[in-house]
Amino acid sequence: MTKRQMYMKMLLSSLLRRRSRMTVALLAIAIGATVLLGMTTICYDIPRQMGREFRSYGANMVFVAAGGETMLSLSDVDRAAALLPRESLVGVTPYRYKTVRSNMQPYTLVGTRFEQVRKTSPWWKVSGAWPTTGTEILIGSDVAEFARLSPGRTIAISGTNAKGARFSREMTILGVVRTGGVEDDFLFMDLTALEELAGDAGRVELAEVSVAMNAAGLSALSALIQREVPTIAPRLVKRVTQSETSVLSRLQALVYLVTLVVLVLTMICVATTMMTVVMERRKEIGLKKALGAENRSIVAEFLGEGVCLGLGGGLLGVAFGWLFAQTISVNVFGRAISFNIYLVPATLAASIIVTGAACLIPIRSATEVEPALVLRGE
Amino acid sequence: MFGRMLRGALTRQKGKLLMVAFAMALGVSLATAMLNVMMDVGDKVNQELRTYGANLTVVPRGASLVNELYDLEDERAEAGASIPQKYLAEDDLPKMKMIFWAFNIVDFAPFLEMRATSAGRAVTLVGTWFDKHLDLPTGESVDTGMKRLKSWWDIGGEWARDDGRDAMIGKNLADRLGLKVGDVFPADRQNLTVKAIFESGGPEDDQAFVPLHLVQELSNRPGAVERVDVSALTTPENDLARRAAQDPNSLSRREWDTWYCTAYISAIAYQIEEVVADSRAKPVLQVAESEGAILRKTQLLMLLLTVLSLACAALAISNLVTAGVMERSAEIGLLKAIGATGAAVSLLILTEIVLTSLAGGAVGYFVGLGFAQIIGWTVFGSAIATKGLVIPLVAILVLIVTLLGSLPAIRMLLSLRPTEVLHGR
Amino acid sequence: MEKTTENILEIRDVSMIYGQVKALQNIDLTVRKGEWLAIMGPSGSGKTTMMNIIGCMDKPSSGSVILDGREISGMSSRALTEMRRDRIGLIFQQFHLISYLTALENVMVAQYYHSMIDEAEALQALERVGLKDRAKHLPHQLSGGEQQRVCIARALINYPRLILADEPTGNLDEANERIVLDLLRRLHAEGSTIIVVTHSPEVAEYAEKTIVLEHGRIARTTRNAD
Repeated sequence: MTKRQMYMKMLLSSLLRRRSRMTVALLAIAIGATVLLGMTTICYDIPRQMGREFRSYGANMVFVAAGGETMLSLSDVDRAAALLPRESLVGVTPYRYKTVRSNMQPYTLVGTRFEQVRKTSPWWKVSGAWPTTGTEILIGSDVAEFARLSPGRTIAISGTNAKGARFSREMTILGVVRTGGVEDDFLFMDLTALEELAGDAGRVELAEVSVAMNAAGLSALSALIQREVPTIAPRLVKRVTQSETSVLSRLQALVYLVTLVVLVLTMICVATTMMTVVMERRKEIGLKKALGAENRSIVAEFLGEGVCLGLGGGLLGVAFGWLFAQTISVNVFGRAISFNIYLVPATLAASIIVTGAACLIPIRSATEVEPALVLRGE
Repeated sequence: MFGRMLRGALTRQKGKLLMVAFAMALGVSLATAMLNVMMDVGDKVNQELRTYGANLTVVPRGASLVNELYDLEDERAEAGASIPQKYLAEDDLPKMKMIFWAFNIVDFAPFLEMRATSAGRAVTLVGTWFDKHLDLPTGESVDTGMKRLKSWWDIGGEWARDDGRDAMIGKNLADRLGLKVGDVFPADRQNLTVKAIFESGGPEDDQAFVPLHLVQELSNRPGAVERVDVSALTTPENDLARRAAQDPNSLSRREWDTWYCTAYISAIAYQIEEVVADSRAKPVLQVAESEGAILRKTQLLMLLLTVLSLACAALAISNLVTAGVMERSAEIGLLKAIGATGAAVSLLILTEIVLTSLAGGAVGYFVGLGFAQIIGWTVFGSAIATKGLVIPLVAILVLIVTLLGSLPAIRMLLSLRPTEVLHGR
Repeated sequence: MEKTTENILEIRDVSMIYGQVKALQNIDLTVRKGEWLAIMGPSGSGKTTMMNIIGCMDKPSSGSVILDGREISGMSSRALTEMRRDRIGLIFQQFHLISYLTALENVMVAQYYHSMIDEAEALQALERVGLKDRAKHLPHQLSGGEQQRVCIARALINYPRLILADEPTGNLDEANERIVLDLLRRLHAEGSTIIVVTHSPEVAEYAEKTIVLEHGRIARTTRNAD
């Protein structure tokens, strides 16, 4: 048997035959590693997750026509939308405005795509149902109140089309929309149906875009779109982007700081537990010194144990930490966490270092003690 | 004798018990900090979300909102003009700071628009308050206006004064008119000074903002206000609030009281309607709904983070207590050898540890308050409100953790045979 | 120098002072190779201090200690460790076995710190103390006597110049005491130098020479008739 084999044997014996103490140590390290991995994963993922939540504020970019034009072409909108990263694109909603009359009253009729509206403007409150066909219409709550209309009734609208000819159509009111904003004054119908009435297709006044991205990313995208699709002028909705940046940075700072406090306290806890476990073995250290062990070999033995415990606890911690982060992500945001694989070696390294360091402190003081004092003095 | 032994252990076993006390202080400080931050995070984030601006608009009852955002066709403008105009009274506005939820009304600003000509071109003048000082009948005073409400505006120059002949010009309009800061901006009969060119990223970029009284004079509508934007701190809506928003009269007396005395946006809107004559306060759902969502998410996030890190802390600390108790195996072996029963030993150890934990916990509580304040000041730039509820929560936590931590250790110690311990096994 | 008169240990005018307490005062002592010496004395007489100095676990406040021809009083703690490892076999009253290692491994630990690991030799050492069949047992599975025999095997494994036993039978019953003392006697017969610290006259009787310490001084020296 070589010395190396003996070293391994002593190490394994110490780990396996002192089960209750080692469990205590392993548990402490595993908890530390769990918190470390879980919290840093959340920290790392917070901007992405929270950024998604902030999309509830709606569009953060608006496409309008460049060069003084009032209308932009839908195919250009599609080309521009294709430039946006698929995974962060929430929705693109085109809006086409048309003035119509009903009962001699002028109204603004808006043609849009309802399935996109629900993505870019999630705050719309519709009592009744969303229209699905070309003869169904959604009316703003102020219009409903003003004209005493309600879902289920019909409304006759009329206007002039692109060629100057008059049109009129009987629409079924499917729902009343309330937003507290200008939408309360408008009528909404499907864009394709509106184009049919207006007699020209493929052109809209503006398109609202909601992208889960920070202000810097949006500016870069905006520049890209301006270059690739020069007919479109992308504008950032400052109110949304600026506020999001400021609130999100606060939230991030909050999570960072909380993580820091939790981490520091947990690491102290881990170190203290390790120190207690090692302190208990002063007698053993004394004996080994009496048997002629040099400080170096005692340190090597304890460090070996520390590294093994750190590795074992770290591995457990990685598994539980992932669960920790996943639980939070699924419960709070309803989405899986994006897991940064580099955090695994980082967590393992951190738990090994903390454990090793925590072992070394009491060993240093223990090896300074004369063996005789430890062996006889109780 | 029990007392004497206890006193002996507490005073002479300082090193070992200090470890337990230290562990408990760590855990309690973590718990205190997290719980306090968690309980206050709603208010703090709510405050931050005010950067999104107004979440309530107050308009005259019966009048439609004047469409400004998508005002793209001339025909529409004529249509708008054909609606008979109604106004709010400027004099009613200070009353908003005297409702039940006055403290939750953070800022507000009135608006009155008119068409004017400047050097032969049509411009939209918007009269408003920039940074208005109000003295309330209650003796308090308030500063409010656009300056606080539109925090996302990029201002080149300085804010206009409410009593001057100042104007703030939107970027697009300034480009069209070729105006710079300090230039004279002629509007109808008045010559105004351009105090600032601003960029809002919205339709305001095509407008000129001037003091409210100027528009009232120019358009001959003294004391009139078309619209008021209000920014209020609100509680996220729940079922009760949604029902109340539909029709406050459908609530039972008790529900109504609960609703009225909670800062739901519908309750605040209702109270504003009570004080401002002929008004209708509408929640701006884009802001109100989203802030509810964000608030709920943040609170849930903090709650889960708190619960999980408390669970971890509890485990880690009871673990440390276990380690601390195990260390004393020799002493316990001796006690058993001289005839102490298992129960007596357990009682002694438990009492010792509970007393130590309480001492450690008390220290930890104040350290934790410190941590909470550090977080509060660093992140939000304001103090975290200290909640009394945290104390009993923390006390329960200490008790559970102590028991959890000492029981396995005590069980292990009781199963030891005294000879084994004393003869070094 | 003749073999029979070779001194393994020479203590000249050694004193040990802890603060105000004079644990040892002006001790002179010589131990020849192959001698069996017993150090006796009541509690507090300086026995333990004496043992610590001889065992290279402590250095005297003044005086000189020459162990196996080398002066230890000026040595660094590292050199002391080396002396202890190479020249001294320690036997403790409380055995001090490492709880998580088997009997055989406990013996091998001493080899490990000394030089090479030789499992066969360690097993042989256990056989010499009659514990070959208990080699795979953990300390808590062994009786006190057996633990002390493991401790002796461990002390012997590196062929020390001096075996230093501190109350080797203090925790043992009579039967086990006899076994342990017979073992020591056999070692002595084989030529080992042994110093036993004890307060039991029965144990001291086995030695060739007994010194009695009182108040940190050698009160008397007796030669036991063999």
